Amino acid sequence: MSQSKALNSPSQVLLAEDLRKSYRRRPALRGLSFSLQAGRILGFLGPNGAGKTTAIRILTTILESDSGIFFVDGISSEYPQRIRGKIGVLPESLGFPKQITGIELLTYFGQLYGRTENEARTHSAELLEEVGLQERANSLVGTYSRGMRQRLGIARALINDPTVVFLDEPTLGLDPRGQQELLLLVQKIARERYAGVILCSHLLSEIEDICDDVVILMSGQIIASGSVTEVVQHSKQNMLRVHIPGSFVLDAQRTLEALSHIKRVSSGTGTAGWLAVEQDHSTDGASPKEQPDNNRILEALIRAGIPILSYESEGGLKDVFLQLTDEVIK
Amino acid sequence: MNDKAIHSNENQIVGNRQGKSSNRKLPAWKIVFKRELTELWIWGKGIYLMLFYSIFLGVSSFVFASNNELSLMPPREMMYLTLSNAITVSLFIALIIGADSFSGERERSTLEALLLTPANRRQIVLGKFLASISLWPLAYLITIPFVVLLSQGNNILVTALLTGAFLGTLLSLAFTGFGMLVSIWSNSNRTSLFVSLTVYLLFLLPVQFPGGAQTGTMGRLLKQLDPLEGADHFLEKIIVNNRTVGEVLPFLWASVIFAVLIFVLLFLFAAPRLNLDGGIPVKIRKNKSRLIVTTLLAIGLIVSMGISPAQALQDSQAPLQITVDIQSKAINTGEKLDFNTTVINSDTTASAPLIVAMNIINLDANGDVVDPEDWSPQRTQYIVPLDAGQSASQTWTINPILGGNYMMYMVVIPEPSDQGSTSQPVASSGIHLTVQAVTRLNPGGVLPLAIGIPILLMLGLVLLLWFRRRGIDSGNS
Repeated sequence: MSQSKALNSPSQVLLAEDLRKSYRRRPALRGLSFSLQAGRILGFLGPNGAGKTTAIRILTTILESDSGIFFVDGISSEYPQRIRGKIGVLPESLGFPKQITGIELLTYFGQLYGRTENEARTHSAELLEEVGLQERANSLVGTYSRGMRQRLGIARALINDPTVVFLDEPTLGLDPRGQQELLLLVQKIARERYAGVILCSHLLSEIEDICDDVVILMSGQIIASGSVTEVVQHSKQNMLRVHIPGSFVLDAQRTLEALSHIKRVSSGTGTAGWLAVEQDHSTDGASPKEQPDNNRILEALIRAGIPILSYESEGGLKDVFLQLTDEVIK
Repeated sequence: MNDKAIHSNENQIVGNRQGKSSNRKLPAWKIVFKRELTELWIWGKGIYLMLFYSIFLGVSSFVFASNNELSLMPPREMMYLTLSNAITVSLFIALIIGADSFSGERERSTLEALLLTPANRRQIVLGKFLASISLWPLAYLITIPFVVLLSQGNNILVTALLTGAFLGTLLSLAFTGFGMLVSIWSNSNRTSLFVSLTVYLLFLLPVQFPGGAQTGTMGRLLKQLDPLEGADHFLEKIIVNNRTVGEVLPFLWASVIFAVLIFVLLFLFAAPRLNLDGGIPVKIRKNKSRLIVTTLLAIGLIVSMGISPAQALQDSQAPLQITVDIQSKAINTGEKLDFNTTVINSDTTASAPLIVAMNIINLDANGDVVDPEDWSPQRTQYIVPLDAGQSASQTWTINPILGGNYMMYMVVIPEPSDQGSTSQPVASSGIHLTVQAVTRLNPGGVLPLAIGIPILLMLGLVLLLWFRRRGIDSGNS
């Protein structure tokens, strides 16, 4: 593959082509190919051992692939040192020297990316403000909370104004508020800095919430990829589970089966009063992400005077992930 | 914002990225060096290790000076031992710092961020290496006043300090590099420290051999092959035994070759392959046999450099004379006595190689037997064959260690020509020594130094921490 291929699309900031890697004959990556556009967030999913870490390490030049090639901002993987100048990385287990202040740390890395000490210091102060750490700029990193360290890690990943940002489990160990703040920050990076972001996470809900695209890896190869909407639509089970009093089960079944987009309603889920409502999107093409169909089901039950004790939606990214990985295992 | 404006903004961002990616203002090694230096000396182990080092040096110097007061140890030997200890302990410290450099960062998960920067890996290693060896100059600076004090005005002082500086620098570079090399290849700090310290102890092992094993052919060979022992032997011979550099140069080759080998491995081979996970590179694993051959060749080179040219022996026994330049002396313990001997070959033919030896006897029948080794580090000197009518002078120094009445005399012995022959020793007239025992609480005046330097370092440490804290509190970190 020529370098020009990667340059043909100006907004394409990352292109991976048939990346392969084995550890002592055990394949960890078996032909990984995908691309990332500027300003978009790509969720990188897969169960433990799927090859995510290997893929990220290869793409961040920490590890060499056995074969295949990738381009970052048009630069071939044959030039790892130049690629390092174009990427920002928040590794999963990023450690910090404790006896250094936040601004000292960022200034140090800023200098390593080619800035003078003064330039690096000014830029570091701006970044600390961007990640909301300006108040603690002169505090020792050892005194930072986990959330603050993660934000500092993101600031460090942005020190070179990267074209592609890799974030490996950025919300790991954070409280819900911390998770939410960090995800907003990730969105801001993609939208305002116009950087391509690769987000690795086990929290599928956060991937679904903020990612534009998704790649699901299993046993070293991609089993699903595309926009989040596309991938979710591929799910066979767009299911709503509704909990109603046992005496209303038959009425509810009849009411729901009368709806046009309902494929099947079953009560044999093993728990009394639970109905599994399987929907058929091929009839109206509704997006499961927007969930208008779920509202129609609930509305129909309420109109029929059937009390709803609780309900849960299935058919999101989590179910797609479980379903796809389950299929591969089988 | 309309589409055009968005794209213009995007282009500006991309443009900024491109503009900033060039012209690095400082070389990466300098940035890493500055950072590592700050980390080592302000918050890291550096100042604490130096504190420990100064206490160790103070205690050992006090012991040496006390021994000197009792005349158990002459100044030259004190200088040698102080320098030898300073180098040995500094190397231990250098090894700890070097062994922690990369495997420690791996364990603390701070290495990945460094490897993700566009900084050249060799420059990263160089920056860390220079910071790690910064301990040695300070350690040597701390050592100098102790050596000066213990020298008691001995004229070998400058030579001793220069030799110590040269050997210490050479070995510090080599051992710091070795520690870093092991650290680059180790995936845990424990492994790195274990391997480094094991090799260090192996290098120190020959000292533990019985005396005979150290002085025989094998002992000499081992000393030549062991960079640590070889350098120590070199230092001892230069300071204590008045040998010239040319005479003891073979003992230096192991250190020089070890340092060169480590440098080549560290900077040409390991540094460019520095990675996140450690482990010995496949290239080395595959070329194990080539590595063994190279090591054996290096050993062969050291051995061949150590073989002295055979000296032609002249098999003749000429009438010899030996004279001393003093007849008697009253002296205190702790004071030194210098005297000269002259060996004259009054025969018409050249002599065999000659050996001059010192003997001391206690004139008090109930007194302790004197071991001349305790009084002088040099009780034997070797002379090349003397031509007919030629003479040679020797300088001697003794430090009486016990009070009493003694007679000292010198003998010159021609070297026998073969296993079955012998030779006739010739003795000088005696030197009558009357020794008065003297002891002091502050031997050699070393006490203020032994206490003062650690206190100064502690004050320095407190000041550093105070300035650092003030900087953080005022937001000028």
